[in-house]
Amino acid sequence: MASEKTATLAPRTAKSAIKSDDSLRFLPWLFLAPSLVIYTIVVVYPMVYSSYLSLFRWDGVAPTKAFVGLDNYGILLTQNDVFWIALRNNAIWLVAALLLPTSIGLGLAILLNSKFRGSHISRSVFYFPSVLSLAVVGLIWTWIYHPDLGLLNQVMRTMGLGALTRNWLSDPNIALYPVIIAATWNAVGLPMLLYLAGLQTIPEELHEAAKVEGALPIQRFVYITFPLLKETTLVVLAITAINALKAYDIIYAMTNGGPANRTQLLSTWMYFLTYNYNQVGLGTAIAVVLFSLTLIFAIPYIRFMTRKT
Amino acid sequence: MSQQISRNALLPDKAKVVIFYVALILATLFWLAPVITLILTALKDAGDFAVNGAFSFPKSIRWENFSEAWETGVKNYFWNSVIVTGFKVPIGIVLESMAAFALTHMHFRWADRVFTYILIGLIVPMQMTLVPLTLLMNALNLIDTLTGLTILYIGFGVPFGVLVMRGFFRTVPVAIIEAARIDGCSWFKIFYRIALPLAIPAVVSLCILDGVATWNEFILAQIFLRSDELRTLPLGLVQFSTQFSTQYDQLAAAVLISVVPIVLVFLFFQRYFVAGMGGAVK
Repeated sequence: MASEKTATLAPRTAKSAIKSDDSLRFLPWLFLAPSLVIYTIVVVYPMVYSSYLSLFRWDGVAPTKAFVGLDNYGILLTQNDVFWIALRNNAIWLVAALLLPTSIGLGLAILLNSKFRGSHISRSVFYFPSVLSLAVVGLIWTWIYHPDLGLLNQVMRTMGLGALTRNWLSDPNIALYPVIIAATWNAVGLPMLLYLAGLQTIPEELHEAAKVEGALPIQRFVYITFPLLKETTLVVLAITAINALKAYDIIYAMTNGGPANRTQLLSTWMYFLTYNYNQVGLGTAIAVVLFSLTLIFAIPYIRFMTRKT
Repeated sequence: MSQQISRNALLPDKAKVVIFYVALILATLFWLAPVITLILTALKDAGDFAVNGAFSFPKSIRWENFSEAWETGVKNYFWNSVIVTGFKVPIGIVLESMAAFALTHMHFRWADRVFTYILIGLIVPMQMTLVPLTLLMNALNLIDTLTGLTILYIGFGVPFGVLVMRGFFRTVPVAIIEAARIDGCSWFKIFYRIALPLAIPAVVSLCILDGVATWNEFILAQIFLRSDELRTLPLGLVQFSTQFSTQYDQLAAAVLISVVPIVLVFLFFQRYFVAGMGGAVK
């Protein structure tokens, strides 16, 4: 083979031997082909086709589709009240997801980063809800919120807060928030894990030096820990935002969008419009809106992931 | 004890340690309260639950909840989940590691662009693909089959799998690959004799993360499985909960059955969760 010859004849670097390797012209594509083919068919092509379908009025069954341009988007924006409820709920959900799991995860990571008896077990405990499926998390928390027998109302009654108890998931004004809390319980693990990994990279000497200089723990956090966790924070925020916009199963399991559509998210409303009301055009238009929202957070993230190469 | 905790000297060390642990144990119990409630509910009979609520110790332990839930349908859901996960994970990992190997060690000119193309899949909301996939699966007669669902799972698994495996292959020294190449080893051999064995820790991590994700997947199963006997666990459980909405004891037992495999995997392979997620970020 040519490459071997170069290597034996002239003591060049190994790299040039590989670079002149003829088999590398097509072989990488062969290694990539199975993944790329199935990924393109299952993920990429449907994405493109969905965007195209969002320009038509179609019930999903009829042989012909009526081209309506951007009308579906116009209908959503002007005539579809639930779309606005869903959009608002997505915004609330997103803000909550960017604040709660991230800060709780950071707090737990700092607390559990020091080695003490039980630190490992505690990490597992706080990570544990993250390995459960969101459908299961939804079912578990539905009991917690059960009006008569649920843990929450029972505890409130024993604490003398009986007047504040209510049917948490049926009250249209607040039903979204109990669901967000359940989702937070599940979402804390990932930021915690990422922050724990980030904390490992901060040299102990920095903290020692600051301590010698008399810096308080809070000062060490503000001036050392947090700035050095900037990259981790970026990744954490991007991933939590992307995941927050994907929320679906937990709504389905807990409220199914109700009461009176007050807990619909874009993801669930897309499902309702498409599969219950046969409004394929509107449904795919919502999907496109959802994807565009995701891109706001995803583009910086993808840039970050591909930076070093 | 950690240095940080014992060094501040405002309180006597011992008192601090006690306060710390009491706070930690309370926080832990608070965090696990939903799971404890679940276990307690699964162990008592419906009457006990109706009278004493969820968070009280069972009057008498009722193991039949589990066998009854199992026979009512959980058995089917469980085995369907096992089948789908059992096929999806190994097939996916072979494909994904081959792709990741090409992207890291084969001096592939398009590597960055192809990797970015694959990464898009990480951010796509499932909703963006559902309608065309429904049409496609319909045309291929794959609606309501575990085969069809498994194929979809493999496709959606590609981005994360490639990301993790690529993160790992990048740490495999180029010198090893080049030495093998110069010795006349073919690229396929380099892949499965050298790179893959070196990547065993990453493969295990990915198996676990991917296994858990597949076991838990809901929306694709919901759209593409129609008949009850084909449902996977998360879908089956939600269905179970709407059909038997008042039989909390059995539902709790059913949920617990679905969670047990995940808990076992989690307990035994914990460190791989950390390693896998780390690989995904690097």
